[in-house]
Parts: sequence; C-alpha cells; structure tokens
Amino acid sequence: MAIDIHTHPVMVKELFAADPQLEESIHRVFGFHFPAQPLEVFLLEMDAAGVERAALLPIDCTTAHGCRIVSNEQAAELAATQPRFIGFASVDPHLKDAPRLLERAVKSLGLRGLKLDPSLQRFDPSSREQAYPLYQACGEMRIPVLLHCGMSWAPSGLAKYAQPLLLEEAVQACPQTNFILAHCGWPWVLEAAMLAIKYPNVHLDTAVLYSGTPQDALRHTLGEQIGLDVVERSLYNKILFGSNYPRVDMRRSVRGLKALGLSAATEQAILGGNARRLLENARPE
Amino acid sequence: MKSIVHRLEIQTHRETELLNITPCVHELVAQSGVKDGTAFVLSLHTTTGITVNEGLPDLEADIAAMLEGLIPERNGYRHARFLPSDGQMAVNAPSHLRGALLGFQVFFPIQDGKMITGSRQTIYLVELDGPQYRSYVVHILGE
Repeated sequence: MAIDIHTHPVMVKELFAADPQLEESIHRVFGFHFPAQPLEVFLLEMDAAGVERAALLPIDCTTAHGCRIVSNEQAAELAATQPRFIGFASVDPHLKDAPRLLERAVKSLGLRGLKLDPSLQRFDPSSREQAYPLYQACGEMRIPVLLHCGMSWAPSGLAKYAQPLLLEEAVQACPQTNFILAHCGWPWVLEAAMLAIKYPNVHLDTAVLYSGTPQDALRHTLGEQIGLDVVERSLYNKILFGSNYPRVDMRRSVRGLKALGLSAATEQAILGGNARRLLENARPE
Repeated sequence: MKSIVHRLEIQTHRETELLNITPCVHELVAQSGVKDGTAFVLSLHTTTGITVNEGLPDLEADIAAMLEGLIPERNGYRHARFLPSDGQMAVNAPSHLRGALLGFQVFFPIQDGKMITGSRQTIYLVELDGPQYRSYVVHILGE
C-alpha cells in the first residue's frame, strides 16, 4: 500500500467554493496557479499512481503573510470526508500559544502530524523559543513533524530558514520526535542525508523538485548524490515517498521512484512501510 | 446565420483514455435547429486531443499504445522544469507531444439538420495527461 506523505490540497474546487479567500492566498503566497479541479480528480490521481493514502499538508502563514494555505479545519474536513486522506496540522510558530493550537488540532480535529514550512512561515527552525516547544509537543503527542527543507518554490519563501543543519540541535534535544525533512533538503541533500543516517528520529521525503522529471531528480539525488548503496544499507527505513502533488504529478513521481532499481524490500518501505510506521510512531530498528 | 457555442465538461479517469463524445455532438446539432452549416469540435487543452476513428475498444487500445510508442515517456525533453506561471513542475512533455500529433479539433458538415459522418466514424476526446476535469467546445455555425 503506497502512501504519499507530501501533498497540498491547493487545487480542490470544493474548498474554494466555501472559502474564496483561500484561492487568492494560494496564488499570492504559495505561488500555485493551476485551475482548481474537483476533489474527485485528487482521488483519481491517487488511483492512477497506485497510491492508497495521502497526507494533506496545510501551512499556517498568519504572521508572515496574513493567511493560511489551507486551514487545519479544512484539512480535517477533507480527511473526514475521505478516509484515504491523512490530515496534518499546521500552526504559526510566531504565536505564543502555537503548542496549544497544535494540541487542539490533534486532539479535537484528529490531525495526525505537524507541517512546518520555515521558508514560507519565516521562522528560524533552530529557535528554542519558537520551534522547540512545537517539536516537543509533537513528541509528547507521538505525531511526526514534516518540515520543508531546501529550495522553496513559493515566491516569498526564504531558503535561509530551510537548511537541514539548522535542525541538528533540535533533533538531539527532542529524541522522541520524528522529524521528516522534505525534498531531501535539495540543494543541501548531503546535509539532510547525514542527519537521516545519524539520527534515528530523522527521515527524508522524496519530493525532490528542482529541474527535470521526477525520475531525473530522484536518480540524481538518491542515485548519484547519496548513492543507491547508501540508500539500501543506511536509509532504507528512513525515506518516505512524497510527491508534492499538485506541484508535480503523483503518477510520474511513483514511476520515477520505481525506475531507480531499488531492491523490492527498500522500494516497498519507501513507498509505504516507512510512512506507516512513522504514523504509528514506532522507530526503525 | 446562427453561431451556437456549447462549452462541455467531462471527467477523465486514466492517464491515457479515449472518450467517445459522438452522441453528445449529434444531439447538440439536432437541438440547434441548423439545417445547413458546420459543426466544429475543439478541445480547450494542450494535453488532450480530438480525433476520429472507428469506435472499437481494440482500436482505442491500439491508438493509445501507438501514441505511447511514438512519443515515449522519456526522451530528454526540454519541457521538464519548474513553470513559475503554473507553480508546477512541467513534467508532461510526452502528453503535449501526443496532443500535437493528434490535433485539437475536427469538423463535420451539417446537411438537412444532420451531421455528415461516415457510418463508423466516432469522435473522441483523447485524454493524454489524466485524470483531469476537461473542457471542450462544440461550435455550430449555419442556418
């Protein structure tokens, strides 16, 4: 069963119908301009890709940009409508009560992870005041935190907040928290891989998108920069499939991963087993 | 002279798929009241095609296989990069090129209130980058 740990519900016509401001925020802040499609298209894309379940990632940019790129309530609503969706929460780290808001999103709305985008939310992910309380709350509630790492395609996203090494002390300080570093941290792929190799609570997702097709990008990052031998030996249980749909289509992302020539066991782990284990909050051996 | 434009929508379900839109086009022509003229069928997308062929499932499969064979999924396409205007990775060059092969419109004469078509001719909207929610136009011109 394949799980896509990295999707954004930014093209769902039903959400825009109920919240016209959302569409404007997605254009202006997230920089996504493709016409909205019915929710059914999202599910059919999953079918065509062979993906059974997908994590929906909102981004709360209230302080940085005065909006939320999908709210927690909207993520929860979609997840309640369709059990194939796994709703994540996002909170604004600039708010003093962010940990309480996260707790509410998890306990009241049933959301199952935290999405943070330091580039777009414009916060320092190494901040003990703003970020650590959220990481600690994730550990206490046994939910993973997925952080945008590396280049941001959002027009106002700042890469200086998205370097993987900024997270190392937090990873050490919060050993009970599972961190997922999105996009393999491109262009800081080796920094991200080093953290994932060293720390049991650090993981990577495959939503690498900078140029070329998903197959090109995965071959370059996993196959050449990190090396498939390293993936097979040291990261087989630390990489999660993510497409970043709809910035890139899920079908070609799955095909790109399958074209790497990984062992069947590693391919299956990346496509679903590792995500399933993280969502159940069990650590790799 | 009448000029009647119908914008129609259709949900596709697969990456490559031939959808028979013939009955809909015939029906719109019949409803139009146009006795003599022309019916145009146009896709509004660059990763779909409009084509005509015999309406048989085996031929539909053969056409899909032909397109995938002539335009392989990987061929070092330049259209494989981030498009700021969409906010998306453009990774669907094969879909565009297959569309370019098929073309995006067909037309038929209307005589005595009916479209003139061959008995085996079926009009297809061809999905080349599905699943998506697609739009096409039937434009009826005449008197």
